[in-house]
Amino acid sequence: MKSISIYLSLILHRTDLLGPIHNFLLVFLGSSLILGSLGMVLLTNPIYSALSLGLVLVCISLFYILSNSHFVAAAQLFIYVGAINVLILFAVMFMNGSEYYKDFNLWTIGNGLTSLVCTSILVSLITTILDTSWYGIIWTTRSNQIIEQDLLSNSQQIGIHLAIDFFLPFEFISIILLVALIGAIVVARQ
Amino acid sequence: MDLIKYFTFSMIISILGIRGILLNRRNIPIMSMPIESMLLAVNSNFLVFSVSLDDMMGQSFASLVPTVAAAESAIGLAIFVITFRVRGTIAVEFINSIQG
Repeated sequence: MKSISIYLSLILHRTDLLGPIHNFLLVFLGSSLILGSLGMVLLTNPIYSALSLGLVLVCISLFYILSNSHFVAAAQLFIYVGAINVLILFAVMFMNGSEYYKDFNLWTIGNGLTSLVCTSILVSLITTILDTSWYGIIWTTRSNQIIEQDLLSNSQQIGIHLAIDFFLPFEFISIILLVALIGAIVVARQ
Repeated sequence: MDLIKYFTFSMIISILGIRGILLNRRNIPIMSMPIESMLLAVNSNFLVFSVSLDDMMGQSFASLVPTVAAAESAIGLAIFVITFRVRGTIAVEFINSIQG
């Protein structure tokens, strides 16, 4: 699975539409990301918010495909949408309608204060990001590259890094999964 | 300029996740959704910097983070199931009497 831009250029037979199509897809995905996460926070029906979480996960996966990282996009689709979103939907449908707070008010004073604090954190972080000179940071990544990097595909590079640099976290993650599995079964049995 | 735009996007989603936790304290499965959203935003941040710096370490780490998220989501669901069975309700304000 090569990059989408190569396919689009072959289909359209024009190479001067690559940039605008890329930009249009990025704007579309970004706007649906922000709308989905706003809907997840603000919607009152919990099934709607779980489905908008699914929309956010699929949009992030498409964004990873646009950034030429196909393995992480496929892993994201499988693990996040296929496992975590289904788990959350199962947990949401487990409760019936009488468990909501009937008088749930979104715009109380405490909630307004929380929104104000979060907005101020967001504004301060955005000004910090815009003021930092990201391109003045020294590139210290030359020692991490594999020798034949251009001949290998994306999955092969990730596999080499997992086997050499991330060997210990890989084993620890397998232990984490085993412990989580045993713990969930022990907690939830009769 | 591309790095700054993508970084801002993932940071907006992370802060919306924090706000979602603080606003949605009704019941447990609704509270686990913004937690997943925050983990997703951090994962996207890893990948944005990995693409910008042309380094594969970020992508390798970004494929390990969803497994940890899946494990904690499974444990959260197990705790929710046992709370619902024991207590009969899922209001979060009675959660401080969990034992064992």
